[in-house]
Amino acid sequence: MNTSFLLFALLNPIFALLAAPLYMALIRKVKAYAQGRKGPRLFQVYYDLRKLLHKEVVYSSTSSWIMRFTPYLNLSALLIASLFVPLLFVPEPVGGFGHIIVFLYLLALERFFTALGGLDAGSAFGGMGSSRSMSLAAVIEPSMVVAFAALAFVLKSLNMHEMFALTASEVLPLSPTLVLVSISLFIILIVETGRLPVDNPATHLELTMINEAMILEQAGKNLALLELAHALKQLLLMGVLINTIFPIGLSTELDSGKIAVSAVLFLLKAGLLAVVIGLFESSLAKMRLFRLPAFYVMAFFFSALTILIEVFA
Amino acid sequence: MYLLEAFVYGAVLALLSGTFLPLLYRNKNARKASFGLSLISSILLLVFAGTILYTGKEPAFPAFGFLPGLNFTLATDRLSAGFILLIAAVVPGVSIYSVEYIEHAKSEARKDLQTALTNLFILAMLLVVLAGNMVGFLFFWEIMSLSSLLLVLHNYSSEENKKAGFFYFVMTSLSTAFLFLGFISLFRLTGSAEFGQLEYPANTLTLPFLCLFIGFGIKAGIVPFHKWLPYAHPAAPSSISALMSGVMLKVAIYGFLRFLLSVSTPELWWGVLILIGGSLSALLGVIYALKESDIKRLLAYSSIENIGIILIGIGLYVIFKVEGLEALALLSLVGACFHAFNHALFKSLLFLCAGSIVHATGTRNIEAFGGLVKSMPSTSALFMIGSVSIAALPPTNGFAGELLLYQAFLQSSALTEPLLTVLLIIALSSFALTGALAAALFVKLFGITCLAIPRSEQSKLAEEVKKPMLLGPAMPAALCILTGLFSKQLLSLAGWNFEFPDLLLLGLLFGIIYAALFLIMRSKNPARISETWGCGIPSLTPSMEYSSAGFSEPLVMIFKGIYRTRIVHKPEYLDMQESLFKNGRVEIRLLRFFEEYLYTPPAQAIDNFSKLVSKLQNGKLDSYVLYAFIAVIILILATGGLV
Amino acid sequence: MIDPFLLEGLIKILFVFVLISAALIISTRNLSSVLTTYTIQSFLLALVSFLLYLMDEKGQLLLLAGLTLASKVILIPYFISRIEEKIKIGRDLHFTYLEPTTSLLLSIGLILLSYVFLSRIFEDLSLSKLFFFGAVIGVSLTLMGMLVVFSRRKVITKVLGYLSMENGVLMFGLFVTEIPFIIEVLIIIDLVILVMLTTILAVGMDSSIEEYRQKFRKLQIWTGGRYL
Repeated sequence: MNTSFLLFALLNPIFALLAAPLYMALIRKVKAYAQGRKGPRLFQVYYDLRKLLHKEVVYSSTSSWIMRFTPYLNLSALLIASLFVPLLFVPEPVGGFGHIIVFLYLLALERFFTALGGLDAGSAFGGMGSSRSMSLAAVIEPSMVVAFAALAFVLKSLNMHEMFALTASEVLPLSPTLVLVSISLFIILIVETGRLPVDNPATHLELTMINEAMILEQAGKNLALLELAHALKQLLLMGVLINTIFPIGLSTELDSGKIAVSAVLFLLKAGLLAVVIGLFESSLAKMRLFRLPAFYVMAFFFSALTILIEVFA
Repeated sequence: MYLLEAFVYGAVLALLSGTFLPLLYRNKNARKASFGLSLISSILLLVFAGTILYTGKEPAFPAFGFLPGLNFTLATDRLSAGFILLIAAVVPGVSIYSVEYIEHAKSEARKDLQTALTNLFILAMLLVVLAGNMVGFLFFWEIMSLSSLLLVLHNYSSEENKKAGFFYFVMTSLSTAFLFLGFISLFRLTGSAEFGQLEYPANTLTLPFLCLFIGFGIKAGIVPFHKWLPYAHPAAPSSISALMSGVMLKVAIYGFLRFLLSVSTPELWWGVLILIGGSLSALLGVIYALKESDIKRLLAYSSIENIGIILIGIGLYVIFKVEGLEALALLSLVGACFHAFNHALFKSLLFLCAGSIVHATGTRNIEAFGGLVKSMPSTSALFMIGSVSIAALPPTNGFAGELLLYQAFLQSSALTEPLLTVLLIIALSSFALTGALAAALFVKLFGITCLAIPRSEQSKLAEEVKKPMLLGPAMPAALCILTGLFSKQLLSLAGWNFEFPDLLLLGLLFGIIYAALFLIMRSKNPARISETWGCGIPSLTPSMEYSSAGFSEPLVMIFKGIYRTRIVHKPEYLDMQESLFKNGRVEIRLLRFFEEYLYTPPAQAIDNFSKLVSKLQNGKLDSYVLYAFIAVIILILATGGLV
Repeated sequence: MIDPFLLEGLIKILFVFVLISAALIISTRNLSSVLTTYTIQSFLLALVSFLLYLMDEKGQLLLLAGLTLASKVILIPYFISRIEEKIKIGRDLHFTYLEPTTSLLLSIGLILLSYVFLSRIFEDLSLSKLFFFGAVIGVSLTLMGMLVVFSRRKVITKVLGYLSMENGVLMFGLFVTEIPFIIEVLIIIDLVILVMLTTILAVGMDSSIEEYRQKFRKLQIWTGGRYL
């Protein structure tokens, strides 16, 4: 355990937690502008979270300890996952923090318990959300693993810290495969955070609900924790994408000046990515539920092609 | 060292006495004592196996004369020690559980018999793993099969169980037949019945490899030989299902590994075949499990999936060994064995909890469960630990095992042959798919069984089971979590220092963050309890919540090409233009692919052939004298050299 | 003058996009999307040809790029969009024999198949890995085009699949042999004539061959329900 990692363990999660809600609101604002509206304030999600923290928690009489523990579990899992993605600087990797498979399975842990929470209250909405979410997550899993495997092949390491230390000083991606992997990562980002065309995060209608249905029964501070966890997941996946395609500015040393520059650059890059996501969402309609596997297989085709190119050419 | 062998003798003695005790003294105390003896034996075996694994000592056993010319030897090396450790980890939980569970059998005689047979089963499996030559192996293999067969048939009055038992009997005899073939061909090649190094070029070993692969594959439940598993496991009592799924399937894997590890130069196509067989078993196992609504059948299919994963690891081992990547080969092999160990733990845990649930509600149908987290809290908690482990979520042991395999896959860029890399990537994608489908499966199983409102009267009236049936599963549950957290430490104690994430650190951090969040977020006001939102309808009934079939519906739709539900529509009309409907018949049939196309045709053919042959034995004295006459004529012709 | 590594990287990216466009032609349901995808595919091919010219400095490649641009990106799509305006069907919903998901997975198999096939045949030829992969993609594109022809119903999609096949041949030629320029020109003239004929026939013909036959059948229904 060295000081670099300890500092990282302190700074990175806090930075991620603080920055995450900003980008949720930014994407909403971009979508609103695309629709001709003004949209919410940039800090709206922070105010929403504060409001939720003060509200009363209501539990259903049919729910069990799962509903009570899931929000804390999810946020803990994602806080640990935030130790895997370097946002401010790249530390010396310690004890497996940064391993891509552990990262993916921490996200899977969060999904598992959210799905159980959806079934807990015994409502039809919750069951539907859980069922759809777990089914679709299963179909996207091969693409995710193959995309991360392509990253591992190109950057020759299984640890994200080592990978991004390699690319940290480049302006453009190291190899064309990384450009293709970035496209896969973008699709995975859209899928994992439940954005159009996979799911509409703005509505609570049965037709467009996958993610929202599972947390329908949560209230008060539990809901705040779950929303924060969701925003954190989005930020971490955005972080992986940014580090792959546009890594300039990520500092590899413990210099405070460089870290500050890194932070500002990351905020700007994430903002740009958020605008791109917002525009992408605004240009598409939600796909029919059973057309989604075809879309996911296309994503898998893309990831597989990326690896094939890497192996063959 | 003498001391080491003494442990084994002690364990064998304990199990033997455990077998005979309930048959001699037919009362409850004898049964309890017999399970206590199996518990003692497992502790002895734990010490024995642990010592060998972590110190590498090799004990020596004398040969036991059996028949003139045939004797069997016992031998242990690190491979068998690992699998003895597996047995020793599962048996305590099962024994303690059975103390109470066996009392639910129908008659006193059955209780005594089942207790005796359980001990015999454990003893046979132990001796198979300890066997040092082919004779002993086959002898104890047969005892293992027969004792488990008798246990599967415990409830022989039901038709379904009779069919299950018969199916199991046929498949296990087939397996033994192939094993005999394989061993005899090996014997002819080497001239000795001992298990030793096989320094032969791989093309001479093709026949033994195929026979042993099929023989062990039938017993382990590889697709397409897996069909007996979903019938036998639900029919057996739950503690026996736990032993069968947890240990017996792994003993088959042990046998296969014993052969593979002794071959010094395997061939590439062996590894490819094992890898493809494993991927197919894993994928098909979990896909068929998704459609099941019988809890034990679902767990049986899930076992098939996990055996597939173990085979993937073994296939990777062979491929890497052939390509010369020794470190990766070792990683894959350790991953496969570690996953076998973990699967034994969490599958036995799941089956024991399933047994408690089935006993408390009286049915195996998942659609009748629900709300058990309120009426059976401890069992539900243990069930949850099992579900989280089998879904391979950090920091449990299921995750640690799969992580080793993922690591082997992801480092395969060291392979030089591009087509092999492509095969591995396809295998990796299907491996990832099965992992995610298994998670979905266990969300369904745990969610529908334990959460929400009870879906039937029986579920409403369920009560928590007695202490032994809670203590039993608690042991594998604790081991699951501990093995996961301390995975890196345990592996390095055994001498394997891989570059492996330290799950202990992760787990500790998890606990700390969780506790911190909990303390920060604690509020003074208690939460309010209210009704679930039902769109304005005042109270929710069980028919409004999600059912098991409904939960799997999206996945069934996505994979409908594999399920091949056939809708047969036979309408009858009154007129030629087909406009006036008379009556009709609609059938929705699930295609039982393996049964209808793979198993039944040969079975039918054998049946027809035996009908033909049975005509020869018609009971008339005249025809028998005719046969003797024909035989004498043929003998005369043959010895006279006229033919 | 330009860094060859950069060129190779760009060509690799273009390869993947060409394959994606072929996969999209197999699976898209919207007819105008299929046309747009074909246009993009031809444009990417022209781009590949141009990049190869930058690498090898052969004048023919530049000419080929220009010709492909003119004929396959501008002329042929113009004709086909005229047809689509005329017959006004928006979608091609039905798939025969293969669902889009299965055909995508099959395409991966086809790419692997062409790789194995070509590596057997081209053992003695010394090609750089990139060029070899270009040839593999050419063959795969042809096979995927054939997939489109048999698995889709509407004639327009079948024609576009055939055109895609020709793109595959062009790709193969770019990387493996020196196809004499005249043959390329002849192929392109062939295609233009094909599309012009289709346009002419489209005035009198309905959207798919099946419906054409249905029309004939309908004329005979009064003979008591005997189908042809």
